[in-house]
Amino acid sequence: MKITEALRIVQGTAADAPPFRVTLACGFTPLHLHTFVQAHLQLTLPGRAVRITEGLYGDLCGTLERVAECDGLIVVIEWPDIDPRLDYRNAGAWGRDTVTSILEHASLVLERMKKAIARVPSSVPVALCLPSLPLAPVFSAPGWQSQSTELLLRSTLLHFAAELAHDSRVRVVSAERLAQESPWETRFDLKSDIKAGLPYTVKHADALGGLLAKTLAPPAPKKGVISDLDDTMWRGIVGEVGPENVHWDLHSDTQIHGLYQKLLGSLSDHGTLVGVASKNDPAVVAKAFERPDIILRQEQVFPIEASWNAKSGAVKRILEIWNIAADSVIFVDDSPMELAEVAAQHPGIECILFPKEDPVAALQMLRHLRDLCGKDKVSSDDALRLQSIRQGAAFRELAEGGAAPEGFLEKAQATITFDFAAAEEPRTLELVNKTNQFNLNGQRFTPADWHKATSNNRSLVAAVSYEDKFGPLGTIAVVKAEPQGEGVLVDTWVMSCRAFSRRIEHQTLKMLFETAAVDEIEFAFAPTAKNGPTREFFASLLGETPQETFRLTRSQFEERCPPLYHEVRELKKAEAHG
Amino acid sequence: MDDTRTKLKECFQIVFPDLNEKDIPKATQENVAAWDSVAAITLVSVIEEQFGIEMDLDDIADLDSFDKVCTYLGQRRQPA
Repeated sequence: MKITEALRIVQGTAADAPPFRVTLACGFTPLHLHTFVQAHLQLTLPGRAVRITEGLYGDLCGTLERVAECDGLIVVIEWPDIDPRLDYRNAGAWGRDTVTSILEHASLVLERMKKAIARVPSSVPVALCLPSLPLAPVFSAPGWQSQSTELLLRSTLLHFAAELAHDSRVRVVSAERLAQESPWETRFDLKSDIKAGLPYTVKHADALGGLLAKTLAPPAPKKGVISDLDDTMWRGIVGEVGPENVHWDLHSDTQIHGLYQKLLGSLSDHGTLVGVASKNDPAVVAKAFERPDIILRQEQVFPIEASWNAKSGAVKRILEIWNIAADSVIFVDDSPMELAEVAAQHPGIECILFPKEDPVAALQMLRHLRDLCGKDKVSSDDALRLQSIRQGAAFRELAEGGAAPEGFLEKAQATITFDFAAAEEPRTLELVNKTNQFNLNGQRFTPADWHKATSNNRSLVAAVSYEDKFGPLGTIAVVKAEPQGEGVLVDTWVMSCRAFSRRIEHQTLKMLFETAAVDEIEFAFAPTAKNGPTREFFASLLGETPQETFRLTRSQFEERCPPLYHEVRELKKAEAHG
Repeated sequence: MDDTRTKLKECFQIVFPDLNEKDIPKATQENVAAWDSVAAITLVSVIEEQFGIEMDLDDIADLDSFDKVCTYLGQRRQPA
């Protein structure tokens, strides 16, 4: 991004948009960094007006200790913040005694910063960047050698960052990625530092600003990867050479396919759905997945759609089974034609070419996949996701064939748990912010906004989890209600699409009427491009499709509510909710 | 020179969005409140980007009006 473009983005912010207040804590003049962080964040948060507050020059610790209520904190440490003698603008000596003293001082300063960051309100996400500029030549060893004191100084910093990163609010900018995006030799402007206290070049300010914005407000990860098999998952056409003669190893110079399998396996273990769309004979594909040396295990993939029909059809079936929209999914294939066919039928899907002949490009692709699907924290619900999709498919298959759905639901041995003390659990806000189809109004929250909206003791917030004889689905819904006069207003309600068809939404309504002890509930409904299932659910109770905020009476609900067979458990119900 | 003035006006508009277009040619560090030392550095960065040149920080202290910046740029654009 150019500085001109960044300034235009910043100036183009809608003045009446709700503010997103960020504290930028650093010890130098952040001028261009301020502009670029603001512009990059503004692009990430188009509905908000990003506002940035700076601290005092040369007082990073003090700025951290004074952090007021905000939506995000960015901490950019440079060497002079660790010790003023590392500042090119400082007149202090670089003598023999100085070096040990710098090390001691660094420990004290970092401890002070750690304490200050720990005191920042728990709802404020923090993005941290360790020093990104060259260290002044204070150590006695020649520049090509790292002396033990210098290594100790760097290890103290890394230890400090690692400890902070344990805190789920704190995310640390990757030094490796910064090195890729901002080459070492174009980062530092000594003249500008000495004259104006502005050490960053415009290029470095842009690169770091972009990474800080992503670190503070990361984009939503993709939910699934659909992959081709031949010449993608492995080298060779399995239908021609047979399952035993496709390869993904060093010996046959096809290691890049093995690395791809490793990455998919890792994504699957961390909650990203992995499916297969392949033009192949299903029996042959099944045999290939039975090979003992396959890296991506069969249980890490679901579903495997192998047929001779168009790939877009296979992708359609997978999206239906996963019950997610195309724009949450990546499709990987080695054929540009197949990618184009799928892209044409599924607008929004991210299509990625597998560069089978170019290992360097293939490694870049693997990194890109990790970027698109990456999560900094993995919850127990992430680990359950693939298992529950598989169970959901079995559930639907059994419900649709043979036994009547009613009898099927009755025998499902389902338990619904309403947890009334889970408002601050990361999974609760994650569900609210990523659920599209069953979503009352599409409203998203920053951690600070959510904390503010739920921390008053009049709010009723329930995280809903579900389990039946097929296994647990984990936490799959969140509902939030506020007292309003004599009644109740439900202003947030989301449910994962994995949980459809189990009447969990009906049981949730029943709980709301009973817990709030009211005969009528108001719903802050707003139609979105994707919340059709929510509209249909309410239409089934109201007898008409809602278009905006509406009221539902207890008698309307009871008249049209189908039989419910769940066992209901309530956890940690707050006294304020009766 | 006209081309330089037009491009420079655009730079001023980006850095001082509250400044009326017709007032830009008369702009000086004295009559534009927002033209402080920080804005001066931003202005230099924008000019460098728009004109594809590098400016010496030592020069910018003297560039305290639209006209002076314009003259400076005109000199920079003349072949040696």
